[in-house]
Amino acid sequence: MDLKFHNKKISGIVTVLPSKEVKFEDEMENYNFSSAKSMKLKLAMGYNKHRIAENDVCVSDLCSYGLKYLFEQGKVNKDEIDALILVTQSPDYFMPPTSNVIQGLLDMKKDMICMDINQGCAGYIIGLVQAFMLLDQPSIKKVALLNADVLSKKVSKRDRNSNPLIGDGASITIIENSSENLTIHGNLFMDGTRANALMIPAGGFRLPSSAETAIMEEDINGNFRSLDNLVMKGDEVFNFVQTEVPPMIDSLLHTASVSKEDVDYYMFHQPNRFMLQKLADKIGVDRNKMPCNIVENFGNASGVSIPTNITYNLGSEMLNNEYQLCLAGFGVGLTWASLILKTGNLNFCEIINY
Amino acid sequence: MDKYLEFLKELLEEENINQSDVLTSFEAWDSLTILSIIASADEQFNITINSKEILEANTVGGLIDLINSKM
Repeated sequence: MDLKFHNKKISGIVTVLPSKEVKFEDEMENYNFSSAKSMKLKLAMGYNKHRIAENDVCVSDLCSYGLKYLFEQGKVNKDEIDALILVTQSPDYFMPPTSNVIQGLLDMKKDMICMDINQGCAGYIIGLVQAFMLLDQPSIKKVALLNADVLSKKVSKRDRNSNPLIGDGASITIIENSSENLTIHGNLFMDGTRANALMIPAGGFRLPSSAETAIMEEDINGNFRSLDNLVMKGDEVFNFVQTEVPPMIDSLLHTASVSKEDVDYYMFHQPNRFMLQKLADKIGVDRNKMPCNIVENFGNASGVSIPTNITYNLGSEMLNNEYQLCLAGFGVGLTWASLILKTGNLNFCEIINY
Repeated sequence: MDKYLEFLKELLEEENINQSDVLTSFEAWDSLTILSIIASADEQFNITINSKEILEANTVGGLIDLINSKM
């Protein structure tokens, strides 16, 4: 469906990354493959190093650290935040909502809404869409969108399919009303018939974790994982992205009356370098306009990858300039969504370490 | 298809490949090879194939038949 929003803007982004950095080479021996084959994979996919949260670090830790930083540095006034949206697939608890937990940890005002959304790869777009909708309420003037995941805990260390690319992290994006007369166009699609393309089979109510779900089994490609682990059908996801994303972007640009050349940067979710480069070629945009270096530097932290992409690749340039950005997320759900918006003159745009 | 055979030779790191060669028997064969074949089918022929179909095609000749059947 097509979406349209008026007079909303992003006013700041901060990404919080765990300090612990793991190198691809250090984990190669976990995989059931020759080192030559693993090196080939590293080159094609852009695997190098990724950020992994320590065992006891959860989503609320990363988010409250980032929010505290913003409050203490005077970048955001705590009492001005009227809504806290947390998009995550790795909440602290099933209940209560982790966004409420974060609100409590920071002793934020009670006259506000907290909301958890279960979305992943497209979670930045879904979160922004939710923020824009909340801002239509006169009582809501400033929204803090938290994207955070610590999914590395659910990935098998012996799964060469997913382990080299997974990353942990959080990002905080402040969204508010704008006095400029701006229209933001977006579109989004969902297909639950392909829900099992990316999933954690056990650990929910359908199949609770047990001794049986922890048994490691080898798949046809030589990867070991259990039902408690994240499993990705790599080829299905690849085909899904190549088939669905280019027409979505064409349609978005058409609706917004923006040409491919007029877009300064295509800041997309980053599953791996290979997929992004093929996607740039298929959409017909210069690979330089679609950065693909997040996985090799930090790993893919699901919904955090787009804000990490912006804070890492554009960073301080976003403070005094304005760019026409096309954002797109695609994956778990399956969900695919995109937005085109002029973004810039931010109050902050940076990465901090936890 | 000659161009495609050249691509396969490069991908599989072989000097010569035959129609009857079993795909999984190549030294260089792995999940990345499968992904590269999927990507090249999309790029070169604008068709969608998946890993199950590639493995079922079994041989180099079978893979070429698979691609031809989708064009």
